[in-house]
Formats: sequence, C-alpha cells, structure tokens
Amino acid sequence: MTKVTMTVNGKSVSAETEGRTLLSAYLRDGLRLTGTHVGCDTSQCGACVVHVDGKPVKSCTVFAQDVAGADVRTIEGMANADGSLGVIQQAFQDHHGLQCGFCTPGMVMSAAALLAENPKPSEHEVRHYLDGNICRCTGYHNIVKAVMAASGQDVSALAAE
Amino acid sequence: MPKDHGIGASSKRREDIRFLTGKGTYTDDMNIAGQAHAVMVRSTVAHGRIKRVDTAAAAAMPGVLAVFTGEDFAAVGGNPAGWLINSRDGTPMREPKRPVLAHGKVRHVGDAYAAVVAETYQQARDAAQVIADDSEIEELPAVVNMAAAVANASNRVHDEIPDNVCYDWGWIEDNRAKVDAAIKSAPHVTTLELVNNRLVPNAMEPRASIGEFFPGTQDYKLTTTSQNPHLTRLLVAAFVLGIPENKLQVVAPDVGGGFGSKIYHYGEEALARCAGRRNAASPSCRTRMAETT
Repeated sequence: MTKVTMTVNGKSVSAETEGRTLLSAYLRDGLRLTGTHVGCDTSQCGACVVHVDGKPVKSCTVFAQDVAGADVRTIEGMANADGSLGVIQQAFQDHHGLQCGFCTPGMVMSAAALLAENPKPSEHEVRHYLDGNICRCTGYHNIVKAVMAASGQDVSALAAE
Repeated sequence: MPKDHGIGASSKRREDIRFLTGKGTYTDDMNIAGQAHAVMVRSTVAHGRIKRVDTAAAAAMPGVLAVFTGEDFAAVGGNPAGWLINSRDGTPMREPKRPVLAHGKVRHVGDAYAAVVAETYQQARDAAQVIADDSEIEELPAVVNMAAAVANASNRVHDEIPDNVCYDWGWIEDNRAKVDAAIKSAPHVTTLELVNNRLVPNAMEPRASIGEFFPGTQDYKLTTTSQNPHLTRLLVAAFVLGIPENKLQVVAPDVGGGFGSKIYHYGEEALARCAGRRNAASPSCRTRMAETT
C-alpha cells in the first residue's frame, strides 16, 4: 500500500492505495466523496468524470498513483462558497436536466470543462462535447438546454420539453 | 401563495439539490462499519454444464471469509418470478425457479455460479478470479431467441421444461375464424414478420446490495437498488429464505434508474443477506455488480 496525496476541491488529502487503485475508488472509498459515480467501470458512461488539473477525465480509468500531487475537482466542489448551487448546477435544476441523478455529476463536470474552454458553445458543440456522457432517463434535450443557459445564452428558441 | 404550491402548480423536485451537489445516497455510496464484500463468479458462456467448481484455493486466500456455490443454495429452491401467468388453455405457466447461484447449469453469460465474501472488495475479486480459473464449465449449444428455443426443443434451457415453453398466449389463435374473416374482407393486406425483441434495460446505476444481520434480535436488513422493495421483501423472506417478513427490513435509497430491471428480486440480494448471517465477525456484506440479465 502506498499513500497518495493530492489536492481535492482545494484541500490537501491523502489515502492508502494499491497500484491498481483507480482514481474513482480513491475518491469514493478512500475519501468517501461518493458524488463521483461509477456506472460502467469501462469509461463509456461518463458518470465518473472529474477534473484533473483542469481537464475532464473519466476517473474510473485513471490510476490514483498516476495523478499523485494533482489538483482534482469533483462534483462536491462545484457549489458556491455559501453552499448554494453553482451556475451550471442551478441551470440543470431550472431546466429539468436530471431525473434519477446518477449521470448528473459527470454531466455537470463535463459541462463545466466545456464552458471553461468554450464560453458560448453552439447546441451542436454542446452535444458533441457531452458525447462521452450517457444518460438513460432520456434527458439529453434538457441537459443541452441547461448547459447553454448556464453559458448565458437565450434558450427560449430551443424546443420545450 | 408561492407559485410552486397548490394544485396544478409546477413544483421543484426535492431530490434535485442533493443530486446536483454529489450528496445523493445510492446503495453503493453507503458503507457499514465492519462490512465484508461479495464478488460473484460469472459464466462466460451462454449455456453450459458445471463440471467442477473448486473453491479450496480461493477459500485459503487472504481476507476470504466465506465462499458459496450453487450447492449451498440447492435447498433454497430459487427465486420466483413474482408474476404468474396462465396459458390460453388455462394451465398455469411452467416456472423454472431461478437459483440464487447457478447449480448444475449456467444459462446465460453473466449467470453467477459462485461467490466470494472477503474483507475487502479487491480480496474478493482476486479470489473470485481464482475460482473462475479452478472451475470447469462444459459449453452447451445455446438457443438465444424465442423462435430458436421452440424450434430446437431438444436443446433444453431448463431440463424440467421439455419444450422450452413457459406459457402460451395467442389472441389470434383464440379468434382464428374472426381474424381470417377480417383479413379476407380487407381491401389491402400487408404481410410482415414482426420480431418482439427481448427487452434488457440498462440503468446508469448498476445493481448493488448490502445485507445486514443483527444477532441480538435475529433481524435482517437489506439495502438494495430496488424499484419495488415491498415485493422484494415478500419474495426474499417468504419464498426464498423462509423467514417471517417482519424479520426483514428492505430499504431502497436513491435509485439511479431502473426501467423495470430493478423491480425483480435478484439472487445477489438473497446472497448478501445470507452472507451476513454466515459471518459472525462481519455480519454485514455488500455486493456490487455490473448489470447482467
């Protein structure tokens, strides 16, 4: 077992790992940050997306030891300092971009990465960027709408759902 | 009155805030102090005869608390479907019980035929791999759709069901004369073969269960990814494990989608409950599994 230290949501944290310990397991089992979900375990579904040094990664496919020392951000770090919902989270609620909530953390993290790279994405760009995030409650339409609204764009022209 | 109150008002969902902030509580997010972890050993073939399951080496591995095979549940009889249907001649459907762990044969890829309970998830995984390596399953020809199952009735999915037919519904057959007359008098007739495919929902959240046993009161608690905890309690208590319903509490916390697949009672749930009782040192046991059919 090797102790791995990194910064998660602004705090320095550490947990014991094996060589095979995945970042998702480090967060969920080591730090009890269970907001990062593991759906498929094979990097298809995107429920486990977190940011590593600002880039979105599927944490079920990253070894914890490979990102020792990194700056990691998870869904638990997305709310405002006063605990209120961040802009993207609020837009997901306002536009009904979630149902069962299982894919939601990954959707929010991917959306945040998109808006950091591209502050005013087109509908096509949003759909393309979220290609690696699967939702099974058929919520894509409202997820796209929420992401565009979070970017400050008028979404009234998008078909209502 | 606020606009989200009263009849007809559009209300905000109460669960959104916790889901959006990563504070939901799905079954796999929960941890019980001292819990053990169960991992299933699953079939890699669609149909096969179990020739050998050698658990000795796995049982001696670090952290392994218990090993189960289909043999251990042979007396249990298996999980009922919980939905009984009559054929059109009035006879009840022939229901092969679904074993908690496959015994004798495996009947689909992913059919669990052994399970390991260990102190950690990784120890259980390692030992499950050893059981898979120490097992021999003779692959049998498989029938993988309804037409093939009927046409190849000699290839029995369940040995006790000779023609592979569970029940027979037939509205057309029951109304043959009227149907023939309607088609004969129709101005236009289209012919097509309609295939009703097997439906396999895949929710985002895989199934998971936590079984707990409380020695002081002899009560059980099952926390599980269920759309239907009341039915699960009835089935697991009364029909599978033979304990009074009031001794078993079934809890369904946040569930990450189900679409029907989480209505049923699964063998892993019975196993989680049972494994808890078997291990006095670790009276709780959790499972997590990729969704299998």
